[in-house]
Amino acid sequence: MCVALPGRVTAVEGRVATVDFSGNIVQTQAGLVPVKPGDWVLVHAGCILQTVSSSEAEELTDIFREVEELGV
Amino acid sequence: MAFDLESVKNYLAAYDGPTVRIMEVCGSHTAAISKLGIPSLLSEKIQLISGPGCPVCVTPTAYIDRLIDLSLTEGCAVCTFGDLLRVPGSRDREVRTLNLAKGKGGKVYMLYSPMDILPLAEQHPETTWYFAAVGFETTTPVYALLLQALEEQGITNVKLVTALKTMPAVIAWLCENDAQIDAFLAPGHVSVVTGSKVFRPLAERYRLPFVVSGFQGGELLAAIYGAVRSVGQGQVLNLYPSVVTEQGNCEAQDLVSHYFQPCSAVWRGMGEIPGSGMMLRPAFSAFEGGSAGLNRDNANPACSCGAVLSGKLRPGDCPLFGRGCNPMNPQGACMVSTEGSCFQYFTNHRDR
Repeated sequence: MCVALPGRVTAVEGRVATVDFSGNIVQTQAGLVPVKPGDWVLVHAGCILQTVSSSEAEELTDIFREVEELGV
Repeated sequence: MAFDLESVKNYLAAYDGPTVRIMEVCGSHTAAISKLGIPSLLSEKIQLISGPGCPVCVTPTAYIDRLIDLSLTEGCAVCTFGDLLRVPGSRDREVRTLNLAKGKGGKVYMLYSPMDILPLAEQHPETTWYFAAVGFETTTPVYALLLQALEEQGITNVKLVTALKTMPAVIAWLCENDAQIDAFLAPGHVSVVTGSKVFRPLAERYRLPFVVSGFQGGELLAAIYGAVRSVGQGQVLNLYPSVVTEQGNCEAQDLVSHYFQPCSAVWRGMGEIPGSGMMLRPAFSAFEGGSAGLNRDNANPACSCGAVLSGKLRPGDCPLFGRGCNPMNPQGACMVSTEGSCFQYFTNHRDR
């Protein structure tokens, strides 16, 4: 139910943003967070919940760095 | 050598310390963990327990019955996410689910986004359009955006039937009711909205680690590692930093509290939990679709949904699991929803 997927904003018009999910183009609500074309965003039920601050690969590196501090 | 996915996998497979029970509260986590076969990568001493994080599964039958009745009422139509269509209520066999009611002439529409109700309401002003507003903190802001649009556009023929739930109170309830959990995987997309801060008081009060996790395999394994390594420590780890911050989406939080206020809510199998739900503020009663008092839960008495949802019983240990209850013929909501524990255990042949 809380499924949310990342996509890339291609256009913004008022509070509606066009988001490209690997070629699937969807009109989404951008009323909860400021976005601009080119931003990666997390979309849930047609609504942008947040911008994505780093790529998946970068994030995994960050996460493993963080858990490494917990010791082995 | 760099600390990476392999190091985490090796550690989790070889772990031989005290048994650690980790609850993933979020239904999307349950689905990802099951599909990816994560349990098969873990030592038997690390147990993953599914929690009450599928909003469809925890909704009492009275709510489904209300939607079914509305769909069959002249001049009314019910819009919902797909999850809810096959959940059994307690009406007659021919109209036990919204899907069956639709087959009997009920007006039931499946929508991807609550906002999709706007054009329907404009094109058919003679009909009152009800949205089945279920969900957790992740989804409530979308309903708030819908209400904002309804106000701005002066649309008066849309109403919400709410069954909105919030995570902190139900997690506290689990901790107070002998759930025997050593760590929580905190729901990732709830945290996007609320911020990881909402789990801090729980972590401190119950001296349990809360690890905010993403939904990819590497993210989940790192989070499970984080949970195992932090047992006994009342702290919050944010391992989904690309979208989750300490404070969350404040704009979404403000919009939600403009339209909604906390309320007591009934959870299937767990009963009424104070402060675990959200309802429309009285100032917006024009959009209220009759959500109050939908507390009765007349599910199949042989169904163990309640014990499954609170982590006390594994899906496979329910007497109905696979014997009269399967995704084609579900007896309880946990076998219906694609995020239900029973559905996930059944379809992925998961046994631990």
